[in-house]
Amino acid sequence: MTHEVPTYIGFEEYSERVPASIPSAVQQATNRFVSGRAARVSELPQWEELRQIGSDIRLHTIEHMDVYLTRLEEKVKAAGGHVHWAQTAEDANRIVLQIAREHNVKTAVKSKSMATEEIGLNHALEQAGIQAIETDLGEYIIQLAGTGPSHIIVPAVHLKKEEIAAIFSEKLDMNAPADPIELARIAREVLREKFLNAEMGISGGNFLVAETGTLVMVTNEGNGRMCTTVPDLHVAVVGIDKVIPDWESLTVFLKLLARSATGQKLSTYTQFITGPRCEEGEFGPKEFHLVLLDNGRSNVLKDPVGREVFKCIRCGACANVCPVYKNVGGFAYGWFISGPIGAILSPQMLGTKTARELPYASTLCGACADVCPVKIPIPTILRHLRRRVAQGDAIALPTMPAPIRVTASLASLALTQNWIYRFGTRLLPTLMSVFRRDNWVPSAPYPLSRWTKARPLPPFTAGFRNWWKNVRSAKTKESAR
Amino acid sequence: MTNPVIDNIRRSLGRTVQSPIEPRPVIYASRQAESLESDMEHFLDEITKLSAVGEQLSPKEIDSALKSLVTEQNIRKATVWETASLRQLGVAEILNSLGVELVSANADKYEMAQCDLGITEADFLLPETGTLILKSSHEKPRAVSLLPRIHLAIVRPEMLRADMHQVFAEAKYSNYLVFITGPSRTADIELTVTLGVHGPRNLFVWVVEDRKNHHN
Repeated sequence: MTHEVPTYIGFEEYSERVPASIPSAVQQATNRFVSGRAARVSELPQWEELRQIGSDIRLHTIEHMDVYLTRLEEKVKAAGGHVHWAQTAEDANRIVLQIAREHNVKTAVKSKSMATEEIGLNHALEQAGIQAIETDLGEYIIQLAGTGPSHIIVPAVHLKKEEIAAIFSEKLDMNAPADPIELARIAREVLREKFLNAEMGISGGNFLVAETGTLVMVTNEGNGRMCTTVPDLHVAVVGIDKVIPDWESLTVFLKLLARSATGQKLSTYTQFITGPRCEEGEFGPKEFHLVLLDNGRSNVLKDPVGREVFKCIRCGACANVCPVYKNVGGFAYGWFISGPIGAILSPQMLGTKTARELPYASTLCGACADVCPVKIPIPTILRHLRRRVAQGDAIALPTMPAPIRVTASLASLALTQNWIYRFGTRLLPTLMSVFRRDNWVPSAPYPLSRWTKARPLPPFTAGFRNWWKNVRSAKTKESAR
Repeated sequence: MTNPVIDNIRRSLGRTVQSPIEPRPVIYASRQAESLESDMEHFLDEITKLSAVGEQLSPKEIDSALKSLVTEQNIRKATVWETASLRQLGVAEILNSLGVELVSANADKYEMAQCDLGITEADFLLPETGTLILKSSHEKPRAVSLLPRIHLAIVRPEMLRADMHQVFAEAKYSNYLVFITGPSRTADIELTVTLGVHGPRNLFVWVVEDRKNHHN
């Protein structure tokens, strides 16, 4: 994964040259997760009720984020932890580096974290001569391979076992067999030694409970426990949007998360960490640092429609059902987060100039909103962002060229004013006959050419009103008979 | 001290320090406990689905159960939580008599990682998900359920709680809690489920019940 913040996400360009192996591998994973989720959901009669409560609590938390973050900071400090606020990615990297230097850290073990991907922490650490080792098996594989994640839950799903064996053989200087169980065993052995000798553990977090200042982490492999239990120093980098009010709220999200993500009732390990170890000699880190990452989130809060993106609990269910994602995979979305949620988050955090193609990376079919455990209205936000991309609003300047914007405004006027519409339906067939070839319009003139880029248009007839008039009069005659 | 992040959040939300705090939306009612027997049955069912091994034993059966575990799993080194109830069951003595080398629960991480077996209790059990919930202290180190290749939890039925709500009400002020739901697992390579990738490969749960004291 590139460590730099993208300056332009070329979704369209990428989607035209997706490697052939991606759709089949990604669909194997998504189909598995979709059926797993469906099975768990059907067992829980109160599922819809849970989703509604989950959505309500997240929205309430977003609207009171200042209150809960203030409470969180106070409680983490009371538990003996350190709290750092990072306004930008650079701030966050600088803070983590500073902590690492103070503790003379040479090696850091990392559990999977979207926030550290977002800020490019691994690169920053490596620049400073500190080795940062990903320990989630999938993340470890793609770190060795030097590529990015193709799926939020199974990041290396695009690699076949033979490819992974080749990567292990080359990078670990050994003869690795193409057997998933053997490969996992090799990774266990190599990483076990790293866990024991690393001076620092770095993690993200799934939730931050304001009530007690507790970091909640959900993992399956146990690497998350290793990173936060074995080294003497634990640093967690977590987005400010992960805060939730209290433990009662947590019951809702823990019930929603694993079921939606992997089709498990609960993931194997869920940890609740409140500050460092509290007894002298107790096993566990002596020091706990929480880096609260803003990186543009507080600006996104300005938009009452768009900010619902922060309800997200990162289950990946929206990607698993998305027909677009299933065909292009995670790389196409160009930043740390992919799928429909990435398509509404990246344009808001990076700006519509950089990510202007992403709101269009959707068919608006609505499957994502149907499965979202916290009911994020993804299609609504996509449309909202499309409008922002095209026309601009209080937050962003328009990115579409003026002729297209004018055409769109005219179309919107025509579709709302009856007389213009009627006039247009008479005028258009005549205008279009110039471009008509047989029974199709293969390419329309600029600025309408965008619509014929991928497929020809059928000639415009707009005969519905006439047709309806005839049908109605025929019916009237029939019933009069 | 002003905090620029909080300040910007307030600006974006149009809030001030004095802005009212609305009450958090109400949460649904939690699952209700069933009889101890049926909740225990539910629990054992769930852990079996998770590829863990659950058994119900009387205190007298611990001896022979440990003996077969040590033989079958080729256990040479073990570490045990230093709690009253495991002491009362004589777990350490039994292991000693079986020729298993005991590593102190507060040994360093390198020694802990050498252990084949870690024995803990649980503070709570959840029937619906087959989950063990462990707190942490000097006597109950987190490493015992993590570093050895096999984790054995010796639990009692009265640790069962109806739902997470009850567990959280009792345990939310602990500085560390872990929910363990089955052995360590991954599906990261070609979606093949592999157990024991970083944490224990095998999880055994023995429910010990003193039937003399058991009132039906």
